[in-house]
Amino acid sequence: MANKIVIDPVTRIEGHLKVEAEIANGIVSDARLVGTMFRGMEQLVVGKDPRDVPYVVERVCGVCAGVHGWASCMALEEAHGATVPEMGRVLRNLMMGALWLHDHILHFYHLAALDYIDPTAVLAYTGSVPELVAVKDKIKSLADAGDLHPVLPSYKPDDFCVRDPELVTQLVYHYLQALEIQAKGRKASAIFAGKQPHHSTMVVGGVTSFPTLGQVEQFRRILNEVIAFARHTYIPDAVLLATGPLAPLEKASVGATAGHYLSYGGYPLDQSGGKLLFPSGVIFNNNFSEVQSFDPAAIREEVDYSWYKDEARPGHPSERVTDVNLDKTKGYSFVKAPRYQGKPMEVGPLARMLVMQPAPFMELMETLQVTRPGAVMRHAARAVDTLVMADAVQDWVSELIALIGETGVYGSGGNAAIHDTAHWEPPFEGIGQGLNEAPRGALGHWITISDKKVKRYQMVVPTTWNASPQDEAGQKGPIEEALIGAPVADPENPINILRIIRSFDPCLACAIHLIHPKGSSVISLNPLC
Amino acid sequence: MSASNNQKEVSFKILELKGISRRKFIKYCAATAAVFGLDYYFGSHFAEATTAVIGKKPVIWIQGQGCTGCSCSLLSSINPGPAEILLDLVSMRFNSTIMNAAGHLSAEVLADTVEQEGYLLVVEGSIPTGDPRYCFVEGIGFDELLAKTAKNAAAVIAAGSCSAYGGIPRAGFTGAKGVAELVTDKPVINIPGCPFKPDWLVGTLMYYLNFNELPPLDELKRPRAYFGNHFIHDTCPRVAYFEKGQFLTDWNNPDTVNWCLLKMGCKGPVTHSDCNRIWFNDGANSCIRSGSPCAGCVEPQFYKDLSPLYVSPLAPDGPQLDPVSNQTGGIDPGSAALGAGIVAAPFLVSKVAELLNKKKEGEAKHGE
Repeated sequence: MANKIVIDPVTRIEGHLKVEAEIANGIVSDARLVGTMFRGMEQLVVGKDPRDVPYVVERVCGVCAGVHGWASCMALEEAHGATVPEMGRVLRNLMMGALWLHDHILHFYHLAALDYIDPTAVLAYTGSVPELVAVKDKIKSLADAGDLHPVLPSYKPDDFCVRDPELVTQLVYHYLQALEIQAKGRKASAIFAGKQPHHSTMVVGGVTSFPTLGQVEQFRRILNEVIAFARHTYIPDAVLLATGPLAPLEKASVGATAGHYLSYGGYPLDQSGGKLLFPSGVIFNNNFSEVQSFDPAAIREEVDYSWYKDEARPGHPSERVTDVNLDKTKGYSFVKAPRYQGKPMEVGPLARMLVMQPAPFMELMETLQVTRPGAVMRHAARAVDTLVMADAVQDWVSELIALIGETGVYGSGGNAAIHDTAHWEPPFEGIGQGLNEAPRGALGHWITISDKKVKRYQMVVPTTWNASPQDEAGQKGPIEEALIGAPVADPENPINILRIIRSFDPCLACAIHLIHPKGSSVISLNPLC
Repeated sequence: MSASNNQKEVSFKILELKGISRRKFIKYCAATAAVFGLDYYFGSHFAEATTAVIGKKPVIWIQGQGCTGCSCSLLSSINPGPAEILLDLVSMRFNSTIMNAAGHLSAEVLADTVEQEGYLLVVEGSIPTGDPRYCFVEGIGFDELLAKTAKNAAAVIAAGSCSAYGGIPRAGFTGAKGVAELVTDKPVINIPGCPFKPDWLVGTLMYYLNFNELPPLDELKRPRAYFGNHFIHDTCPRVAYFEKGQFLTDWNNPDTVNWCLLKMGCKGPVTHSDCNRIWFNDGANSCIRSGSPCAGCVEPQFYKDLSPLYVSPLAPDGPQLDPVSNQTGGIDPGSAALGAGIVAAPFLVSKVAELLNKKKEGEAKHGE
């Protein structure tokens, strides 16, 4: 007999999400993801000075803070005809790279790890490592006071939960350390970005501030601390869990999608923009040996099961304007259904690593004999993604120092440039597309400028891809697909559902933007992210 | 050693493990006390209240139309760090970003805490009043959730500009409003900012936990210590260049990097905060320090009535022109050429005119 369960809210993600699942014979037989919050970020920039847009749409999301401002700048730069000078490019890579490290560490420990451990095992720790004894004392004092919020309450730990007191205490210690490390990642980014969350220095055409050598040194020092934690703590923890206690989850392909992956590519390594740290590419049907080239024109959006009026089918995001219909009976989410060559695509670290195929990741795939990667592999991919970024950020620091020397930043006779001032004024007409990789995956912004003002603005963000509903052909979105088949022995304890959802690191504030009420239930909306 | 001393020791032990010495922590508390105009000795008193393990103040943190940036800003606090805030300072009963529980378990915690009364309610994000379907949590509209949770709260903290005044969503179509527009029978503290600076929230929490009352607030319900006493412009490290009439217009020019940002659209003359004195991210940087014009993110007019963000309120040739004498003369031709409508906010233009007139008067007096 099928049992329907609803989890609302899904916590430890960004934003508002509800999941409805049907359980039959101990496994998920059907699932729906429902996004439940709207603001209207795209609509409210229409008619504004285009230069405001990066500042405003940056605020779509404060977790991956930075990526929307960047993608927006890229779209505007195409429309303005602006070119970011070399030092501007390197500074952007640095401020966003530091944030990348922050983001993955935060996700692993603070958003995801509690799904895989029984935190009360700390109380049974009998070792004598001073740090771990202190963790135990702390947790015990909180437990004695009857107040272990926000660590408890939790779902009942299942068979996959790590209960070994030594390992759990170590992970809880790392959780506490990581709280401080992720704050330091933000701080490093703020050295070049002005502040975090929500940088202030990235503007159309470049950045607003030359770094001082003191700042470069401060950045490097903090960054090294974050990288050391990533290398010596986070990555070993992720690999340990993936290859140890969680290997059975991965072997069972829990959380696997239909196997279609997409990366737009991101982080320019040269001025032409042709060489990227993360390459673009597409994979179908888990066929990892065949990475196809990516064509932005092949993106289409569908709305059959989304709360939008049906319209001429399906369109490219840069061209569509849509009307919302809250009363559409078939609809069950405000997230739209973007498809690539008609397929639902997973985006994010797993897609990025499968397209890029760095050696440590492919070795891990080999070791675990993975053919259909699932939730555990998603965490492992995120760890390797961190490793790739850690190496790159260190290279960019050296590149920045070399540029400072070459360009004579601090003297009047220097030729250093961080901003394309000649193209700062908005054009009368223009269109632009900004495609990039955010920590959560492929991110696209599209702008149309008319009469020096924003005429139209669109975003399709990673979580729109991952958390999309069904399409016309009846194909479910990647997260929905990943949920089907998940073992849920006890409907009262649907921890596997949450593990799978969180492995995608969804960001719902990104995925849903509002729209216009006009006093009735019908509101006019931009194609959604 | 008494039980409470024991707990304090444990608490400090964990601070020390994360590289924060007891002395450093007390120093931070003392600095917070000083901001509120309290004697230095209150520092250790603050620290004690802050590290008391038993009887921590329960906090419910709900999010409406937000981006989680304010939650993340709190987690970006370095001294005290997020672990101290979450485990030592308060009892975080409900915060969907970090809490372990989900679904019905989290709903139960929420219901239990509401029933117990006396908690602090922190609200992140604005409240859509156009249609409740713009933001649903646990099957009810966010306005209803706010009413339900505010009912038994000791006080409500509107954290960030969205929940304080509607913020960026107010410029949209959902009827986005701030908490104080809807909650009228409870004390409301506004901690605006996009996002707020963590010190503002943590300092306010510490004050409240110590004295069990709200800190002194300005007329916009913001703690005076952080917002009431200073215009960004008045405390600006670039203000001398404003006085000299030297304005940055090209971010590449190494000779002008420290000049006044007014021509890049700076909202410093109409914005109240201590951003110039205490920078973001543990003192790493600030908007103005890093060459970016202030966007006025802590003001109720943000963003809608402060847009455009990067357009000069000054006349073309700089400060010698008086915007007041001729309304259109106050508009930079660069912005006037931007097609109909895109000119600096009138609110900013008139305030700048006032500053320029005062400056002129001062110069005339000096000349006499």
